[in-house]
Amino acid sequence: MMNKLKSFGNYFKDFGTAVVKGDIWVKLSLFIMGAGYIARKQVINGLIMIALEAVFAVMCVFYAAPNLAKFGTLGTVQFEQVFDPLTLTSTVNDYDNSFLILLNSIISLFIILAFILVYIANIKAVYRLQKRKEECHHINTFREDIKALFNEKFHITLLTLPCIGVVLMNIIPILVLIAIAFTNYDQNHMPPSALFTWVGWKNFKSLFTNSTTVTFGYSFGKVLVWTLEWAFLATFTTFIGGILMAQFINSKNTKWPKMWRTLFMVAIAVPQFVTLLLVRNFFADTGIVNTICSNIGLTDFLKDIGLVSSHLTYIPFLTSPGWAKVMIVIINIWVGIPYQMLVATGVLMNIPTDQIESARIDGANRFQIFVKITMPYVLFITGPSLITDFVKNINNFNVIYLLTQDVYVTSDQLLANSNAKEVDLLVTWLFRLTNEYYNYKMASVIGIIVFIICAAFTLITFTQMIKGNREEDFQ
Amino acid sequence: MKKTVGFVTRHLFLAFLVVIWLIPILWLVVTSFSGYRGINTAHFFPETWSLDNYKALFFEPDSVVQYVAWFKNTLIIAIFTCIISTIFVLMVSYTMSCLRFKGRKGLMSFGIILNMFPGVLSMIAVYFVMKSLGLTNSHLGMIIVYSAGSGLGYLITKGFMDTISVSLREAARLEGASEATIFLRIIIPLSRPMIVYTVINSFLVPWGDFVLAKLMLNSGISTDWTIAIGLFNMLGRSLINKYFSIFCAGGVIVSIPISILFVLMQKFYVEGVTGGSVKG
Amino acid sequence: MKKKVLAALLTTAMVATTLVGCGSETAETPAAETTEEAAPAEEEAPAEDAAAEETTEAATEDAAADPVANLIAATTDTVVLTVWASEEDQELTTTLIENFKAAYPDVTFEITLGAESESTAKDTILTDVEAAADVFAFADDQINDLVKAGALQPVSATYTYDVAAANVAGSVEAATVDGTLYAYPMTADNGYFMFYDASVFTEDDVKTLDGMLAAAEAAGKKVAMDISNGWYIYSFFQGGGYELTLNEDGSNTCTWNAEGATDVAQAIMDACATGTLVDMSDEEMATAIAEGTVAAAVNGTWRAETAQDAWGENYAATKLPTFNVAGTECQMSSYSGYKLVGVNPYSQNVGWAMLLAEYLTNEESQAARFEARGLGPANTAAAASDAVQANPAIAALAEQAAYATPQRVGGNFWTPAETLGQILASGNPDGTDLQTVLDTTVEGITAPIE
Repeated sequence: MMNKLKSFGNYFKDFGTAVVKGDIWVKLSLFIMGAGYIARKQVINGLIMIALEAVFAVMCVFYAAPNLAKFGTLGTVQFEQVFDPLTLTSTVNDYDNSFLILLNSIISLFIILAFILVYIANIKAVYRLQKRKEECHHINTFREDIKALFNEKFHITLLTLPCIGVVLMNIIPILVLIAIAFTNYDQNHMPPSALFTWVGWKNFKSLFTNSTTVTFGYSFGKVLVWTLEWAFLATFTTFIGGILMAQFINSKNTKWPKMWRTLFMVAIAVPQFVTLLLVRNFFADTGIVNTICSNIGLTDFLKDIGLVSSHLTYIPFLTSPGWAKVMIVIINIWVGIPYQMLVATGVLMNIPTDQIESARIDGANRFQIFVKITMPYVLFITGPSLITDFVKNINNFNVIYLLTQDVYVTSDQLLANSNAKEVDLLVTWLFRLTNEYYNYKMASVIGIIVFIICAAFTLITFTQMIKGNREEDFQ
Repeated sequence: MKKTVGFVTRHLFLAFLVVIWLIPILWLVVTSFSGYRGINTAHFFPETWSLDNYKALFFEPDSVVQYVAWFKNTLIIAIFTCIISTIFVLMVSYTMSCLRFKGRKGLMSFGIILNMFPGVLSMIAVYFVMKSLGLTNSHLGMIIVYSAGSGLGYLITKGFMDTISVSLREAARLEGASEATIFLRIIIPLSRPMIVYTVINSFLVPWGDFVLAKLMLNSGISTDWTIAIGLFNMLGRSLINKYFSIFCAGGVIVSIPISILFVLMQKFYVEGVTGGSVKG
Repeated sequence: MKKKVLAALLTTAMVATTLVGCGSETAETPAAETTEEAAPAEEEAPAEDAAAEETTEAATEDAAADPVANLIAATTDTVVLTVWASEEDQELTTTLIENFKAAYPDVTFEITLGAESESTAKDTILTDVEAAADVFAFADDQINDLVKAGALQPVSATYTYDVAAANVAGSVEAATVDGTLYAYPMTADNGYFMFYDASVFTEDDVKTLDGMLAAAEAAGKKVAMDISNGWYIYSFFQGGGYELTLNEDGSNTCTWNAEGATDVAQAIMDACATGTLVDMSDEEMATAIAEGTVAAAVNGTWRAETAQDAWGENYAATKLPTFNVAGTECQMSSYSGYKLVGVNPYSQNVGWAMLLAEYLTNEESQAARFEARGLGPANTAAAASDAVQANPAIAALAEQAAYATPQRVGGNFWTPAETLGQILASGNPDGTDLQTVLDTTVEGITAPIE
């Protein structure tokens, strides 16, 4: 931690030194960014910097300034429209769109930040040039600079495009989302026709309060618990199932292992949304499985033992809370095992056979070998991916949404009052809040919390992977 | 004798599992040949068989079924998505694995955390970013949405590259090869299984995603859609009873190329999934 | 040559429209009369070459006061419009759009037709109003949300026919929010009623719910209704005399937990407990009807076709039955439903969008819609035709209309009401006191809007 602070301090110290000790050209570079380069005969670099500065200035005046000026209020001019019945045209005032102001402000802040970094780096670079000149070192030509981009500075070349993509598609949207959690953006404040504004921590408070009318606190607790239960169950059932199945198929006693594997693979080759929507209709209250079950008397049997309430004429596979939760996990096993089997097959093929052989000689039976040798080995190899799977399951939108949307109706009134269902994960709840109820503010709050949970799980696992020197072990 | 019994039970059990796994798929296939357009709930096998659903899919496009157009759209988007994604992933993986520069570890952790952020959450913001770029309702927009952030999925490929012996790179460097040459001539050819893995994975994204696609392609004009939106739309409340069997036929057709891809690439895929964690 | 013939034909058509249209002109739009006369004049101009210069000039003078002619004159670029209609309506709408284009031959149109179900139009529109279609069809239950989001252009003037006078009062009321007309009524059949298999039920049976259940049980059939759905469960509570109204701020006032309301809840539970009244969603109902397990259903015209196919000549439709609340028979109420056409205020060509919306909902179009798809017209003249009157579903809707109310309800109603339906239909499995159940529901429904 101290180290980081120190390097952070050094960053600005270096900048200070450059400004103070720099000659006239470095100081001129404070205003005209390319000056220092041009003075050292790096004309092209200089011109690029000047152009960059000019573009930035234009951007500031015409884009950043007007948006940032309204950032504090998120706009004050409401949409107004006057329709002239005689010409059939309407005139619209110059209205503010809160969402666009927010979005553009965040993009502007990003650009400004990026520019400041470039600006500081520029001064430092120009100062370095000055020193090189004083010490009579060679100064790179433009061509040499370009060449460096494919050698010692190759990481810059490689990372630029992916980084731009990530900033555009991930970072900016996430920042927008975080900002929305502090506004009152909901169905009553929807741009472009209405404005929304900052409300501070209010939304976070309502997520943790619980009254009869605002039941977000209650629902959040319930949904969170089920989300974690689900993530745990879904991850482990498919993981264990996959290993067992791979083990079974790979066994010497099994003929045609490739054929069996391929047959199971067919199940995952059909796109997930097709199979899930299909299975939903398969298990519908009036669906084919119910018809078969009632024909063979299973429905009546389940009624007799009390698993299906007596007034029903069908098995509520996806419509009663208990059944639905179990079915979702089972269907997920169905979807997930072939995939996990594939992974496990790869791992098992590389298992050190000498250990197993020696264990067998020592008289261990197959079960003992599995528990003592196979499992620890597999866990060791796939441990990190297990955590990834866990986090992915926390956000397993498809399985839950496709199986329960339009089918499942909650009978818990408190959940209903905040538009949640027993089978909802945090992500599906959040999706419905935005997609059907336009409650963006609460959805953003939930989104932030999901993010924190996932990030915590991920960090715990991966800091060790990255921190340790494991990555160099193999090289 | 005991052996034979064991052999038979083992294979019977496997066959039983296969049946369980394939029953829904079988239902999909047989329903796609059904003469009845709605959901058949009384019988597993259709009462009348016909090829009408496939005919409707390919030769009788209406506003609900534009299968050929969807297939074409999805294919175009998928091809470009997988090219860009693969390039991005390779670039980032190589940087993180083989190059050393200031802030590398910080960047890596940051990337991993960002990648954990589910896309569903920030969809609306993505939509408006794309809208302000004028890229909604366009193939280019979809390609950008699917591939721009793909660099974050570098972890597995990086793990694989970590296992490539460092001496190879050093030898090349001694011979005067630049980093770019090492990347293009040495690392990429060695990463073949990972490339295949990334290609398959990113190729499959546009075929399965309906949430983002539905948001981005919101013109309501069905010829603009991808397969996933189109098929999803067929199961809407007012359409399901007329289009369920066509949906099944559509599902069967999509699965064919994907199945072939899967079976062909099975070997690479296994290597890919287990990535660098398996020592060769 | 072909063009000339077409122009002449169109002129005739336009004049004919004028004659029909004049009957319903109001003081509000005195300009409309001239519109009709000026428009043909405009069309003739190109056909008659330079020789007709005088006529054109005269027409232009007239046109100064005529909005549509002004609009035609002011339109120099191609008019680009998008229209959203439901999947089932595509073919008809395509024809109507072609006719519309032909009606204004001097203007180049580029009209694209997209598919968007009327029942979910709101979801797509509200996500991004600016990206939504210029003209779209939607069900009247969405009008409040759409108006609140500023997604509807007020119908402040009409040009080719008088929307308010030509359509049935209920549909105009449904298209009006706070005294402003926001949409053009398109059909008047989006409410629910009951259809049944006359071989199972007699006309007496279908008068009361108990009678129906008895008859159905005797025949081994079911009666289906989507009870776990706020839209349908409303019929019981409204019928029992309990209120649900919309407040100005978008929240609801609801008395479903008032004294005696538990009797209504009990009545629903009792009916469901027989096992003969089943809670089924629309899709499930369609299959069940086709398979013959369900012999009567509370649903709308969109399912009438399925029932007709299944029951053939025995297909009959009527108003909803009465149901027994603690000894008294109460008539089940319902929501009346209309499909409306709205114009997007963010449209680049609001004027043309309004004219197109008018065209899609005028008498001829509504009549054509009935012919093509059996949808009940909202237009009084179109609805008066013999063919429409003979349609059992529409007749049943008309019968139910006396007990129907327009849908005015805030967004907080749906989920709690749905859950209430689910609890009652499944026989209150937790055994919670009914009054408590209703209290919680009402709390959810009446939750304040921030």
